[in-house]
Amino acid sequence: MDLSIIEQLITFIALPFQSFLTIEILLIFLIILIFLIYNEKRQSKKVKYSLISLIIFFFSLLVFYFQEDIVTVLSEIIKTIMRCFYFPNILFYILTTITSLIILIYTILKSNLTKLNKIITYSITLIHLFLFTNFISLAITNNISLTDTANIYQHDNMFIIVLFSQIIFIILILYKLIYHFCHIRHSKLEK
Amino acid sequence: MWLKDQMMQRKSKTLKSQLSKVGFFFLIVGIIVFISTPLRILKEEVFEEMRLAIFQKNINEDNNTTINNVNTENLTVTTEKKEEAEENDKKANYSYIGEISIPKIKLKRGFVSKESKYNNVEYNVTIANISDYPDVPLGNFILMAHSGNAYISFFDKLYKLQIGDEATVSYNANTYNYRLTNIYNQAKTGTVAIYRNPSIKTLTLITCTHNDDYNQTIYIFEEI
Repeated sequence: MDLSIIEQLITFIALPFQSFLTIEILLIFLIILIFLIYNEKRQSKKVKYSLISLIIFFFSLLVFYFQEDIVTVLSEIIKTIMRCFYFPNILFYILTTITSLIILIYTILKSNLTKLNKIITYSITLIHLFLFTNFISLAITNNISLTDTANIYQHDNMFIIVLFSQIIFIILILYKLIYHFCHIRHSKLEK
Repeated sequence: MWLKDQMMQRKSKTLKSQLSKVGFFFLIVGIIVFISTPLRILKEEVFEEMRLAIFQKNINEDNNTTINNVNTENLTVTTEKKEEAEENDKKANYSYIGEISIPKIKLKRGFVSKESKYNNVEYNVTIANISDYPDVPLGNFILMAHSGNAYISFFDKLYKLQIGDEATVSYNANTYNYRLTNIYNQAKTGTVAIYRNPSIKTLTLITCTHNDDYNQTIYIFEEI
């Protein structure tokens, strides 16, 4: 951790040559890269499919050998997502609110959006911002420090407000994604 | 003939598309069913982390109160905290009074008071009615929980324990360290006989025997 930039670079370059296994892994990836580049000229379907199968086989081997570790990593990823959903820290919560605010301002300023889309976006973003304002006012009235996550969530009211805020935020993001996806498809069809 | 062929082709296309839709629906349902239990376990773990964090925070606050518990002003604060704790227990977001930790199997669970309605195997690691609390001299602190695959199987990895493994109990801002000295099985008859050395403070953990529907296992820990 206390290495200088040059030492960090040297360590990084030396990493693939530390053991026979790492050299082997490096060679596999180099071969795949060479084949991919070479195949760009030839455009052979057989090479394409065999390379895809080789990559899948390689990663399947990794999954097979490091099953338990991969399950642990996946569980940790899911747990982090759940933590962000159920018990987000104040920074994450503020970030979602800023996102909501930007979407609201963008919708107000953008003139070529449909009325229905505008109404839906206004409603969802304003509910989200209303919940955030409620959250802040509750914290002020109950004198709750927002720096400690445990401090926030020992109060049921705060927990419920944050939970519903997160649900509303997810609905907003999903709505926006689906809308844009449909919009892109629709414009493609029109063309 | 040509029209008939066209009709047949259309019909088979519609049938194929409907079949693929049904297949996709069943695939989604299957995935949901398959991942629902692991997700529930992970959700329970995330909630447990937060409950333990709240418990640790309260312990730290209690410690501060004890240190300052000299003048009468702080005594009032202590009374308020007691009322707050009772109020907390009434809420759905219940609070813990202690925590058991077994590092070897990465077990870290909180427990509520014996009087709490959440002192139940369906919610938490449960304190037996006849159990003493960990601060009772030469007492026996008895905890029970399910084992298996459900999300409430808090003692599902106890079977991995061996004699000599250690456990820690945090209660009333104190930590009690124990070492596993005895493991034995008994038939599930509704009652359990606990064999322990009465001259040493003990921790007893009770759960169903691993891969056995008819027995329960008792783990006896003695204070170090």
